[in-house]
Amino acid sequence: MMIFDSNAYLGHWFARQIRHNTAPELVALMDENGIDKACVGSLAAIMYRNSQRGNEELLREIADHRDRLVPFGVINPAYADWEHDLDWCLNEMGAKGIRMYPQYHGYKVLDPLAHELCQACGERGLAVTLLHRQVDYRQSHWMVDAPDLALDDIAQLCSEHPDVNFIILEGAGFAGSRFIKEAETLPGNSYIEISRSSVFMGKEMKTLIDTLGAERVLFGTGIPMKYPGPALLKMQHVETSKQNKKKIFGENLAKLLGV
Amino acid sequence: MLIDAHAHCRGPLEGDDPWAQDRLFVEAMDAVGIDIAVVSNLSTPRPATPEGFQKCNRDMLSALKEFRGRFWGYAYVNSGYTKEALADIERCLEADEDCIGVKLYNEYFISDPVVRPVIEKCIELDVPILQHAGHSQVNTSSQPFISDGGHVTKVSREYPEAKIICGHLGGGGDWEWAIKALRDSSPSVGADTSGSVTDEGLIEYAIEVMGADRLYFACDMSVTAGAGKFMSAKMSDDDRGKIASGNFLRLVGREA
Repeated sequence: MMIFDSNAYLGHWFARQIRHNTAPELVALMDENGIDKACVGSLAAIMYRNSQRGNEELLREIADHRDRLVPFGVINPAYADWEHDLDWCLNEMGAKGIRMYPQYHGYKVLDPLAHELCQACGERGLAVTLLHRQVDYRQSHWMVDAPDLALDDIAQLCSEHPDVNFIILEGAGFAGSRFIKEAETLPGNSYIEISRSSVFMGKEMKTLIDTLGAERVLFGTGIPMKYPGPALLKMQHVETSKQNKKKIFGENLAKLLGV
Repeated sequence: MLIDAHAHCRGPLEGDDPWAQDRLFVEAMDAVGIDIAVVSNLSTPRPATPEGFQKCNRDMLSALKEFRGRFWGYAYVNSGYTKEALADIERCLEADEDCIGVKLYNEYFISDPVVRPVIEKCIELDVPILQHAGHSQVNTSSQPFISDGGHVTKVSREYPEAKIICGHLGGGGDWEWAIKALRDSSPSVGADTSGSVTDEGLIEYAIEVMGADRLYFACDMSVTAGAGKFMSAKMSDDDRGKIASGNFLRLVGREA
């Protein structure tokens, strides 16, 4: 069974030391945990004023590991020349998608800038990633205030770009959001990663599978920022079929990205 | 043996199946291999009144009976009600030998003088205190008297024999701050690994700074987070055994 991690990173994070954050180290961590491939984005790019420098670092870092690491660019639509960076990510880096960070880049999920970026990604066939959170808000750095995004805002953004595929990372609380409540009427263009989903008392992961379909649920760990164990345990214990687990572990993401 | 040193019970609840919530938790324990969970019941508006924490503790004692062999208990009290708190600690510890300690929440910093009688009672009875704790830069008004590692260390200098567990290193605050603040606390002070935060390196850093002898495996109801990070964290087999259950058994004077 192929395991394809939708939620991985390389590089430095401004607020704390991250281990296993070079490509060889990350691949070794993946090997330890049976993870075949991973989508990676630059952590440094999130906080660089000019995110593109982080994307360039990422490209150099993964050069010897293209068979295992699938690059995602970090694009800030509030920064000069972002369309150039987007084309560079597509054509030079070979990105399969981008990660957008309204919570760190000073715009709102439903601002015109966000729509412009989603439209541009749609025109280029790139998936768009949003993170409900990058880190737990309670451990915020004193210089940076980045509350969790509102899931309903993300659902609205997805609904207004039905031709774009969205990947939602580090999300939780979907049961009370439009993603679940309006699942029958919203377009099926959003894919939910499970590293924060509950499988026992809350059973959110089962709700996602039952309501959205296993085809829209993605495996992800958050490595190397987070331990891989919790996500692997969720996959082990979620109440669903082996066939569904196979889809969630890797088939869905491979199909979505054409990898 | 795996002991979850920081957990909660909910029942008995109204309805046809008063233990449904707790049974779900036991099923989760079974799934990830937790043998015993040490539970408190906090199901009362806080700050808790004496009537509130007394009801919580009656329910906790009922849960110990219902899930004998799977739950041990902490008696929860609000230290602001000295007479009632001390009485309820004694009542619970006498009522059930599986009630093995005291749980304090966020009504007062543990270093507040009002908590001293409870600390002294726990020293007298030789039982541990599990202290709800966290250190955050945000939303500080939501829990203005939440203790952190600094408060715990301050208390340990005054009461070095007090057995205190600083709750949930992964509970959402700055865990590096908590670990460093606890470095020079007395040897009888430790911390549990519970909480929903699964940051890579958390447990290894706690071992590096505090030492494996002062750490306790726990989930605080985030079962996959707690068990998963313990599974992933790199440590010696000896340290893993200590954190899994050895340290807690030693703390409460029990054998596996």
